[in-house]
Amino acid sequence: MSTKHSKAAGRFLQHKELAAWHDETLWMVRAKRDKISKELPEWEDLRNMAEAIKMYSNSHLDTLLQEFEKNAQANGAHVYWAKDADEYCSIVHHILESHHVKHFIKSKSMLAEECGLNEYLEDKGIEVVESDLGERILQLMHKRPSHIVLPAIHIRKEEIGELFVKEMGTEPGNNDQTYLTHAARKNLRHKFIEAEAAMTGANFAVASTGECVVCTNEGNADMGTSQPKLQITAFGMEKIVPDREALGVFTRLLARSGTGQPITTYTSHYRKPRKGGELHIIIVDNGRSQILADKEHVKTLNCLRCGACMNTCPVYRRSGGYSYTYFIPGPIGINLGMLKAPLHYYDNVSACSLCHSCQNVCPAKVDLADQIYCWRQQLQRLGVASTPKHVMSEGMKFLMERPGLFDWALKNASLVNKIPHWMIYNGLNDWGKEHDMPVFAKESFNELWKKNKVK
Amino acid sequence: MSSREDILQNIRRNTQKRYEKPDLSSLVQKAVKYEDKIGQFCSVMERVGGKAVLLHEGEDVNEVIRKLYPEARRIASSVRVLKRGNESQQLNCYTFHPDEVAASAELDGTDLGIVSGKVGVCENGAVWLEQEMEERGIYFIAEALIILLDKTCLVNNMHEAYPLIDTGEYGFGVFVSGPSKTADIEQALVMGAHGPREVTVILY
Repeated sequence: MSTKHSKAAGRFLQHKELAAWHDETLWMVRAKRDKISKELPEWEDLRNMAEAIKMYSNSHLDTLLQEFEKNAQANGAHVYWAKDADEYCSIVHHILESHHVKHFIKSKSMLAEECGLNEYLEDKGIEVVESDLGERILQLMHKRPSHIVLPAIHIRKEEIGELFVKEMGTEPGNNDQTYLTHAARKNLRHKFIEAEAAMTGANFAVASTGECVVCTNEGNADMGTSQPKLQITAFGMEKIVPDREALGVFTRLLARSGTGQPITTYTSHYRKPRKGGELHIIIVDNGRSQILADKEHVKTLNCLRCGACMNTCPVYRRSGGYSYTYFIPGPIGINLGMLKAPLHYYDNVSACSLCHSCQNVCPAKVDLADQIYCWRQQLQRLGVASTPKHVMSEGMKFLMERPGLFDWALKNASLVNKIPHWMIYNGLNDWGKEHDMPVFAKESFNELWKKNKVK
Repeated sequence: MSSREDILQNIRRNTQKRYEKPDLSSLVQKAVKYEDKIGQFCSVMERVGGKAVLLHEGEDVNEVIRKLYPEARRIASSVRVLKRGNESQQLNCYTFHPDEVAASAELDGTDLGIVSGKVGVCENGAVWLEQEMEERGIYFIAEALIILLDKTCLVNNMHEAYPLIDTGEYGFGVFVSGPSKTADIEQALVMGAHGPREVTVILY
């Protein structure tokens, strides 16, 4: 019955201190989100509006993307369309190659992770430097992010201190967060200045103006795009919004939901290339247009990638991002993985207690838990359901459909309580692992009711 | 067929129900508003790690800036004159204009940047900067940033801000809410990740 997720979660939990810290820290972020959302009496109206705008924009992608393209071209940008990850990577590579770029600086982009851009470019001999501090730490460690907004949440400062001694010449043993952050600031400042091209993702692409909007706290996207004159921006096509009026809704929700801030430090609107520079924009499909056809799961396209569903998820907080087999963890990652390749990523659907908390904090009201439930119903059809669970539920079905047998079983259930411990708690009973089995009552509710014992 | 056509055709084929564009007016009406805008703006600026100060009647903006950043040596300003009603003040506390540099990289090492803001948002301390110089790098590369903002340009929330902003001749603008920051190392908040370590908004 153990899935890859539960096995990996077991390994994560062996580091008791880190696991407890991870759980508490993300809960703190969730609490900050609660506090700041309650300061706005219109919070739920905002969520409803975000959902309605996304339902509109994702059902009008054809017209909105063309409107965006027309306006972006009028602003002087080059616009490309990429069907899949390969095409996206090769467009980026082509732009860099034709401009003889050797040093390339990038701000955080989930799309680039999704499409394996860094590996692709490095294979072709282009140095890629991640400029978000968390992403840079992981890049130097050759690790992948474990959270979409707080990528290095699973790494302790001692490890970062050691890394920076090697990479940036910091004092050994000085693991002060301010000291280490400012060392990275100094180190990356040179990278920004020597880069010949900068790349960003986009949080929003505005159809009516043809501009891309990027939200960061560090200012790394802006530092990059204000140094070299060649800028590349790429976004998954569900990032389109109709107009700036819609941004009024999303910019109020994004940071409040994700980190509990009233807004990110920088909300940058890139509309034209810099004087004497070039702006290249890539619109990426990579499976998104297929999701449109899937009525049960189309709402995953509402996702703003704020990370709120991870921060609140009791399973994510206690198992860490690396326990999931898809590169995006947590509730949204479970669903996106299943949409990408169900036979490859089905291990993650068990990483959910169906508590529905994710769905209640999602700023764009993605029905995350309902979707996970739907996927679980598909496991049998996909041929990947767990056999013990299947046998068990078939047995329960048999019993439930036969009231006489059910009553008889219930009457005698308390006999199970007398079975020797070793017969219940062994390798054969997955339900007895790491928790006690419930004790059957001597009398069932039904019997109590009939005897008028229920008050 | 080109990828563009391919993608558009897939979208058309796969789109199920088409939803209508929602009307935002009732949300905008009930969105948070503040009686004391200046007070709210000053307190939210503190919360986002920045500072807001009021330029009082008769005060010289140059003196205020010098008092705030007495150590600053290399000071870039894209603002030459501060106009308040009929009164105007010349800025003379800066050492250069950001466009005097040959390349953006030369802005590195600027102690203080002085720029003008267009709109300030009371719910979150964000100030809209419409690029007003060729090298917008000054917004991000200076060690500290002063934003000069007319106090009558404060609005309650983002819904009110968006109709008032634009990206201008240079095609770039940014909402800045406090100093550059990160919490990427163990969630400890550190100011000055890549951009300015300090941001002060002077309301005039």
